[in-house]
Amino acid sequence: MNQFITIFKKELKDILRDRRTIIMMIIVPMVVTPMLIVGVMKIQRAQIEKAKAKEIRVAFLGKENASQLYQIFEEGEKIVLIDNFPEDSIAAGIESEEIDGAVIVRSDFHTNIESDHQGNIEIYFKSSDAYGSAIKRMADLIDSYNEQIVEERVARLGLDKDLFDAVAIVENDVSSVQERIGKIAGGYLPYMFIIFSFMGTMYPGIDLGAGEKERGTLETLLSSPANRLQIVLGKLGVVSLSGIITALIAILGIYVAIQMIEDIPADMLAVIMDMLGFKIIVTILTLVIPIAIFFAATILSISIYAKSFKEAQSIIGPANMIIIIPVIIGLLPGIELDAITALVPILNVSLASKDLLAGTINPLHLVEVYLSLFFLAGVAVWGCVRWFNREETLFRT
Amino acid sequence: MITLTHVSKEFKLTKKSRNEMGDAFRNAKTITAVDDVGFQCPPGSVFGLLGPNGAGKTTTLRMVATMLKPTSGNITVSGFDTQTHPQKVREKIGFMTGQTALYDRLTPNEMVQYIADLQGMGVNEFKSRRDQLFDVLDMHDFANRRIARLSTGMKQKTSIARTIIHNPDVVIFDEPTAGLDVMTSRRIIELIRTCREEGKTILFSTHRMEEIKLLCDDIAIIHQGRLFFSGTLETFESQMTYDNFEDEFIHMTEEAS
Repeated sequence: MNQFITIFKKELKDILRDRRTIIMMIIVPMVVTPMLIVGVMKIQRAQIEKAKAKEIRVAFLGKENASQLYQIFEEGEKIVLIDNFPEDSIAAGIESEEIDGAVIVRSDFHTNIESDHQGNIEIYFKSSDAYGSAIKRMADLIDSYNEQIVEERVARLGLDKDLFDAVAIVENDVSSVQERIGKIAGGYLPYMFIIFSFMGTMYPGIDLGAGEKERGTLETLLSSPANRLQIVLGKLGVVSLSGIITALIAILGIYVAIQMIEDIPADMLAVIMDMLGFKIIVTILTLVIPIAIFFAATILSISIYAKSFKEAQSIIGPANMIIIIPVIIGLLPGIELDAITALVPILNVSLASKDLLAGTINPLHLVEVYLSLFFLAGVAVWGCVRWFNREETLFRT
Repeated sequence: MITLTHVSKEFKLTKKSRNEMGDAFRNAKTITAVDDVGFQCPPGSVFGLLGPNGAGKTTTLRMVATMLKPTSGNITVSGFDTQTHPQKVREKIGFMTGQTALYDRLTPNEMVQYIADLQGMGVNEFKSRRDQLFDVLDMHDFANRRIARLSTGMKQKTSIARTIIHNPDVVIFDEPTAGLDVMTSRRIIELIRTCREEGKTILFSTHRMEEIKLLCDDIAIIHQGRLFFSGTLETFESQMTYDNFEDEFIHMTEEAS
């Protein structure tokens, strides 16, 4: 026991002095993540504003067939109309950004409208444009023109407009705001802390295994009275703790990011803050603990097998992808926590966290998730200890 | 005292290593790294294990230090069997290699304390032993500086201090001077001599002939895992057919091949 504590304390001190670990454990989740979230949102908002404020150039062909529509376009904000643009050059014109879109009104349009039929208006646009601003603005103007015609027809015929809008849907969503946010945004929180707990175990795991081999200190440790179990557990304890702390700091980082986003409505912010309450975070952290132990044991096993830091990195690096897949599946709509998904590691943490945040967790499923995770962590630790006892692993040449 | 009796060590061969080792090992499942080796290292003397690279020296030393288990045979260290009482054995030994084997982010002080704690030394015992070693090795000036920032010489001193901080009965040196400059090598040689004067059992592997002559009381010559000679240095010299040690050694190993 004493040797386990000695190894744990030394390894903790050692990794806390490692710049890479500190960057990965504290700086990235605490500073970079909020900056990234807030930064992306700000850039996105700025781009939308920019797209709205942008003057669009629209080629209008056949204004004589729909003078009223032409007038609406003329009065439209930040729209420059171009008459007599050659029809066969429209696609090329949009491609070369000479124009942003085009409206074509054919000669039969007027007749159709006058005879209370439907008239076609063709529009050209590029949907891959930033935020589709041209199509949206053209469609909005045409919609208002449509409204005018319908109102005119209804008035002329002395009908009630409700005749055409026979059914109106009155939406009554019984889910609480917490449930809605939990289901939509809830998936991203586990995404963050699962990835961060993996990243948090990565560097210490490589350093305390392959790094020890590379420095030649493994022999010093193996020739000390500490037995292999104490050595593995001491190292595992520190690597797991690093994963847990990183996940915790990632959650803290999200807290900070939410505070920094300016336009969250106050009532929604209150619900989010309530969702990220102490009890829920503690429950989620209890899910992170076995996952972090599993990551730590797996990484340490690979790391102690590798001959060098570099080899360990090249094996563990791609493992990131393996972790991300179940997390992404957890984000998909329709994938819910049930008796089966509760047994799938990582995916179950993602789904359970989502339900916890939404307040819709089934306690039986939660128990299943815990059992599955602790079983998995136990198997990984057992495997790591056995692996550490293999001479072929420790002295691989 | 270290006693090895009919000690052998086989390693499993992977497919990759079989291919790398050529036709002779194409169908082999194992390779014998140490083959029926036996010798005794008495306390208060230096026992030199001599052999070319790949002879099986490191494997032998690792078995003595309980890092590897012999496939057959027995090893006792200070009366404890390495397989039945590995922890007792490890309490008795200090192990040093050519690499300084230090943690860069610790200080020399923390490094030796770590080993002392693993060895279960009491606080007072540790402090007095540390001060004594730091005095002898002149380490006080850099005792609290990170090891990464130390010179090679300072690191070597730290490595010496961590090897013998718990005052082990047995000190094992695995090619301790390999790759070191003359000054640093000299310091290791002095350490080995001091350990002998203190009555410790010293098992020392090298392929440097001059070190054998300089230090050893007894020697064992090992090649391709097998023992070719075990006895006092005097006996060996009296049986030499060549004028110098190096020629004799080359002759022996060539004959064996």
